[in-house]
Amino acid sequence: MLQAHSLLWDYLWLGPYVLELGLALLLWRRGTWRRFPLFFSYLVFAGIEGITLFGLDVTPRVTWQTWWGAFWVGTIVEALLKFGVIAELLHDLLGPWPALANAGRNLVTGAGVLLVLVAAVAAAFTAPDNTHWLISGSHTLMQTIYITDAGLILWVFLLAAYFHIPWERIRFGIALGFGAVWCEHLAAWAALSSNGLKVRPELLDLLNMATYHLAVLIWCYYLLVPHAASGKSALPLPENNLADWNRELERLLQQ
Amino acid sequence: MTLAVSLMIASALSLVAILWVTVTRGLGIPARPSLGDQIQPLDVEAFRNLADPAEDEYLRLRLPPSEFRKVRRTRLRALAAYVKTAGRNAAVLIRRGQDALTAGDAPTVEAASQMVNQALLLRRHAVLALVRIYGAMGWPNLNLPARPVLEAYLRLSGTAMLVGRLRNSAVPVRRSVW
Repeated sequence: MLQAHSLLWDYLWLGPYVLELGLALLLWRRGTWRRFPLFFSYLVFAGIEGITLFGLDVTPRVTWQTWWGAFWVGTIVEALLKFGVIAELLHDLLGPWPALANAGRNLVTGAGVLLVLVAAVAAAFTAPDNTHWLISGSHTLMQTIYITDAGLILWVFLLAAYFHIPWERIRFGIALGFGAVWCEHLAAWAALSSNGLKVRPELLDLLNMATYHLAVLIWCYYLLVPHAASGKSALPLPENNLADWNRELERLLQQ
Repeated sequence: MTLAVSLMIASALSLVAILWVTVTRGLGIPARPSLGDQIQPLDVEAFRNLADPAEDEYLRLRLPPSEFRKVRRTRLRALAAYVKTAGRNAAVLIRRGQDALTAGDAPTVEAASQMVNQALLLRRHAVLALVRIYGAMGWPNLNLPARPVLEAYLRLSGTAMLVGRLRNSAVPVRRSVW
């Protein structure tokens, strides 16, 4: 059940990618893709990549070197798309608030540079876990990418929380899905990259696939299920507090 | 192995932070319930005095250096408290402004949008000012431009009162004040 290419394994590998392509199709038909074109591109690319890698994995003629080569290419393209999605989310989040747009972008760019440096240092100190560089290198590459991705998405969440920037539903769903999957993947790839931790790789693979499945379900929920109208009425400004505030200003201006 | 464990802990903490934002957003829990909906009155004149470089210069000329450093640190602590209060008030007004943005009439929406932008700017100024204030505590002779916070605060006050008046005409705002 928990072994490679068991029924559960195959489902967790293929399921999320089929769902992603279905989600991309629905976004295309509804026109929602225009708002987040890079996220849409990510869905399409990741879906095709996942299914292709599965096909290569079950085809006997394909050598392991070819499979890992395809994995490397897919990972690098996917990483670029993920950075694009973060930029897209940030643009959408800060766009309506010009007072914060430039400063927010600079803060996230600065955090990105710092995270890349941290990831590079972490990669330099990671001992290879496998004899062949194609495999150990891919583990270190994944760890490097997820340090940057998880750090950036966390930074975006903290920025929004500190400045009380509202999370619109679709934007929040995309960020939440990525946040959950990147944090979990970072932990899993860090464990896999380290040869000191004696973990069973197939269990970590299953955990990664299950978390990714959850992220795709989160995207489906936030992007496809219509938002129920909130019963919360608009709150008035607090009269008493403003009155206090007024008094302070009046006192000042009358001096 | 230490690196892997550190990364696993960091990723777990990050996940907890993201889930915390998710839960508070989903349940509508304010981040700090004790401060959530309270605008704290601020003594603007005292704030102006503390942020005035001329006051610091006057003290520098009148007091011996050791005494000046002591007084300056006390003034900086007070200034930090004022800046924090201004930042917290801005956070309250961001939330209020977002509520007001759902109002139907165009003047209220426009004023609310302006208020949220000004509150965001004030919160940004407050962060920078706090960094400078804590830096100046270690180096009391450092020049301290905290006036942007005060100016942003006064601008925000005006817009907040306008929004309050547009949303609820019972709010006591006297035109003669302006």
